[in-house]
Amino acid sequence: MTESNETPRQGARGLLRSDQFSGLMLLALALYVGWQNRVYPVGTLSEPGPGYLPLLLAIFLGAMGLLIALWGARSVPLATIKWTETTRAVVILVACGAATLALERIGYRLTVIALLVFVLGVLERKRPLPVALVALGFSFASYYIVGDLLRVPLPRSPWGF
Amino acid sequence: MVETFNNLLLGFSVALQPSILVYAFVGCLIGTLVGMMPGLGPLAGISLLLPATFGLNPIIAIVLLAGVYYGAMYGGSTTSILLSIPGEAASVMTCVDGYAMTQNGRAGPALAIAAIGSFVAGTLGVIGLMLLAPTLAEFALRFGPPEYTALLLMGLFILAYMSGGSMLKTLAMAAFGLMLGMIGIDVMSGYTRFSFGVVELGDGVGIVPVAVGLFGVSEILLAAGGTVAPRVQQPKLRDLVPSREEFRLSAGPIARGSLLGFLIGIIPGSAHIISSFVSYGIERRLSRHPERFGQGAIEGVAGPESANNAAATGAFVPMLALGIPTSPVTAVMIAAIMVHGVLPGPMLIQQQPELFWGFVASMYVGNVVLLILNLPMVGLFVNLLRIPYGYLYPCILCFCILGTYSVSNSLVDVWILLAMGGIGYVLRKFRYDLAPVALGLVLAPMIELSLRQSLAMSAGDYGIFLQRPIATTMLALGVVLLLLALKPLVFRGKDWRETVGLEKQG
Repeated sequence: MTESNETPRQGARGLLRSDQFSGLMLLALALYVGWQNRVYPVGTLSEPGPGYLPLLLAIFLGAMGLLIALWGARSVPLATIKWTETTRAVVILVACGAATLALERIGYRLTVIALLVFVLGVLERKRPLPVALVALGFSFASYYIVGDLLRVPLPRSPWGF
Repeated sequence: MVETFNNLLLGFSVALQPSILVYAFVGCLIGTLVGMMPGLGPLAGISLLLPATFGLNPIIAIVLLAGVYYGAMYGGSTTSILLSIPGEAASVMTCVDGYAMTQNGRAGPALAIAAIGSFVAGTLGVIGLMLLAPTLAEFALRFGPPEYTALLLMGLFILAYMSGGSMLKTLAMAAFGLMLGMIGIDVMSGYTRFSFGVVELGDGVGIVPVAVGLFGVSEILLAAGGTVAPRVQQPKLRDLVPSREEFRLSAGPIARGSLLGFLIGIIPGSAHIISSFVSYGIERRLSRHPERFGQGAIEGVAGPESANNAAATGAFVPMLALGIPTSPVTAVMIAAIMVHGVLPGPMLIQQQPELFWGFVASMYVGNVVLLILNLPMVGLFVNLLRIPYGYLYPCILCFCILGTYSVSNSLVDVWILLAMGGIGYVLRKFRYDLAPVALGLVLAPMIELSLRQSLAMSAGDYGIFLQRPIATTMLALGVVLLLLALKPLVFRGKDWRETVGLEKQG
């Protein structure tokens, strides 16, 4: 599992390992869920309430997170995980978020055109003509197939298309 | 046996109706294309088609979606063999020897053996489904809430035992999925849990946004940097015929892969992925010349390809007979047929025989369609791979948003999709298996309801699980498997996964 040249024991000194980090994150999530769960009645062992199973699961997830962190000394150092594509991934997610906000405001077709123009033109730096063709073609063709042929209701723009 | 034969005739009378044949063909075609595209596996394909099935009758809907499922299994092998790019995760092992065969100039026979193996495995799998599902459904009529609780818990323990990679991580992901399943209104008390004031979350988190986000969007985020179109070989029809020696070498792996895949398919987890890894490991171990593996051994293509197709069929046994999904794909399919008011489970085969047997017969038809579709048209399909990924992934992303939104016309679902895409991306970076999350999400309401019903039945006495033989047996089996899975963790021994190469899944 170790990807670096150093032995696991050498590498363990002073370096946070990937499993140690992810295990602690899971523990934090479990603690958060446990905290949020305090408003729901847990009930009793024989008569569980709505908070019973979430609490059990939070305890279980926390325990798993702790064990993953404790057994994580043999995993790769956290610093060796490459995040080269992360900036692009975040930009894609933000663009999709903006598209989600726009979807019911400006309609499916305009939203998809805007999203494709941004991703293809700005992010992928494709030439304008193919970008326009793909954006228009995909938007109208997918609307026709899904919206018109398959009769799935898709949002329209305030201008009626 | 006579009854089974009569039922099968009933099934064929349904499946051979022209409208159903057309949908089976369309499903297989879409599935093959979906399976070939990186980032769009069978799950994403089925999820995206789901809203389109709402207006169809339930038999056509399930035939269409099943066609996509096993079509994607076939399609995934083509990119693995020709480009060493697994279209979907189950084809990872096919890349090793399939691509080596392509480099040795034997791409045609590799594709042919993959298609023939998939056909044989698919057909044997349907025979298994036909014989096993009714028997299992009859047995499951004896199940009450305690048995269902035990069955679901056993499923989670088996998932932990069979998972590729770390058992602790698998259990953590299952717990995470179960937690997601806690969101929404608690049916027994009426409390709305973890909705954070969002009204739409009162209905809970849907499987489609979670599954498409975890498997589709995260894949796109991971691969978004690679935009160079690969060089694609286009094998001609006459190059496809394997030699007699290649047929001889493939027969055993196809038979073993079919049996193994079907059995693994019945149990929970990423069965089609696991089965291909296990099959590859077994074939390498059984071979007289294991050194050929990795250099273009046809057994390394025949075994895993047969296994993942048989597993795809095996997964339908618990889905149809018990109403329990063992994989994210079957979970989405259950959602698809429940929309039509059809409840999968022990009563399905008795109450709607034409649906069950029509589905079984359509799978025979689908396998033939796929064989006809895949071999002669492989040269045509690979043209899809010439589209640069930089153009392909934004369109796939739009499909993901479109498919998720149209399930219930909810923007909250699209936000969940994006959140799950981001979470899936990070989890994959840290080598977590994502299938248990989707499974946990689907199983959570079932486990909670059956557990609380069991306790209501016994006036709060947990002894009810030990007083009923079926429940006790299932729980004991689950605990034994959990202990076996814990053994290498505690004693630092060699894990069985390592012997079959499963730890490479990461």
